[in-house]
Amino acid sequence: MRMRSAVLVIFCSFMTLSAAAQPKGYKPVSNIPAFQQTLAKSTAALQTLQSDFVQTKHLSLLADKISSRGKFYYRKEDKVRIEYTTPFQYLLVMNGGQVMVRDEQKTSRINARNSKMMQSVNRIMLDCMRGSVFSNPDFKVSAYESGTGYLLSMAPASSGMKKMFSQIDVYLSKTSLDVDRLTMTEQGGDYTDMDFTHSQHNLALNDAIFNTR
Amino acid sequence: MTRFLTLVSLLILLLSACGSPYKKLRPSGTHDAKTVSSADIAKYRPVYPGLQKALYRCHVDGRFLFKKFHLSGILLFRNFQNGDTRVVFSNEMGFTFFDFGWDGSDSFKVNSIIPQLDKPAVIKTLRKDLELVLVRNTHSVEIFLDGDTIYYRSSLPKGYAYYIVQATKLRRIEIARRKKVATIYPIGKRTDNDMPDSLSIVHHKAHFTIQAKKITDVSAE
Repeated sequence: MRMRSAVLVIFCSFMTLSAAAQPKGYKPVSNIPAFQQTLAKSTAALQTLQSDFVQTKHLSLLADKISSRGKFYYRKEDKVRIEYTTPFQYLLVMNGGQVMVRDEQKTSRINARNSKMMQSVNRIMLDCMRGSVFSNPDFKVSAYESGTGYLLSMAPASSGMKKMFSQIDVYLSKTSLDVDRLTMTEQGGDYTDMDFTHSQHNLALNDAIFNTR
Repeated sequence: MTRFLTLVSLLILLLSACGSPYKKLRPSGTHDAKTVSSADIAKYRPVYPGLQKALYRCHVDGRFLFKKFHLSGILLFRNFQNGDTRVVFSNEMGFTFFDFGWDGSDSFKVNSIIPQLDKPAVIKTLRKDLELVLVRNTHSVEIFLDGDTIYYRSSLPKGYAYYIVQATKLRRIEIARRKKVATIYPIGKRTDNDMPDSLSIVHHKAHFTIQAKKITDVSAE
């Protein structure tokens, strides 16, 4: 019921613990070196990942939620496919520096190198997969743990990211180091959860699903 | 002389064809007064006030500075018991493009909007389109007839909005100055309590269209 995260903290040595408020039920990670080693070992064996997801947008000051679901695919090192299937069709493929977006009416191709915003989105998704969030200059990362999980809390450091998000939280299972949930909180107070389920690791994924052409 | 008269006739015909399509409208004789309450329009409103929530899959196409753009996302209409309404447009990944609100007395508020859309002209256009759909801030409503078609005309700061009704069904909403500026088509509204299956907003001069198709939230399945 959890997504294998491949949360290898390549740059954990650069990690800075910010002074953000401590999340309820969590405390700062007590043994960072051990955390790094565990993550590195976990990620090294992961080549591909396939998972279902349910996305839920929570609107500020409203009880309303907007939900959708789809499929998530990752292949080492830099290939991601996010495919929304219900209640609409929407496809986002990231392959190296190329990004392809397809809705019911149009397909758009973007060279992420030409778009600061797309570079940021691309990097956030890959950082979550590769565990390289700590090296992302756009965020200040805090690591917490509870009895059952880890929480990597990313506070925007760059002005571009500050305009979009107030925080991004990555929830990991402590036993499997799978990403259970990704929570993106906007400046206005709206936030979106992506809950990952039915993950399968190291399946042979067809090259075509990561094609941006 | 005959040729001159023929030429003048053709010019008159051409000019009349290019003139306002609303000139042929005549004041309604079926009402005591030409001016009526905005409630007369409200009963045809595409977004029924009692409806609590409706979701639409939305595509926006247009041209800005000779460059085409395409935007897609999810449009939420949410009505409240106290008469408030919120309209939220977000992208597929949940990021909010804009969040607008109206209170019971039609006072408008921008709850949030992304910097790229935070321009007075953009907000004004979106607000006007949505207010016409929601039948908010409609003033000085008058009734006109053209055959069996009823035109409810509401004054706008510039020009008019026409709610065009045939056989007790709202067929379209037109925004016009001297000529038609925009048309809103509510399609598939079965009863007064239904939301239309789709909404299409076409800006004729600005080359800007919004197409919205009703969807069901997966949490409601």
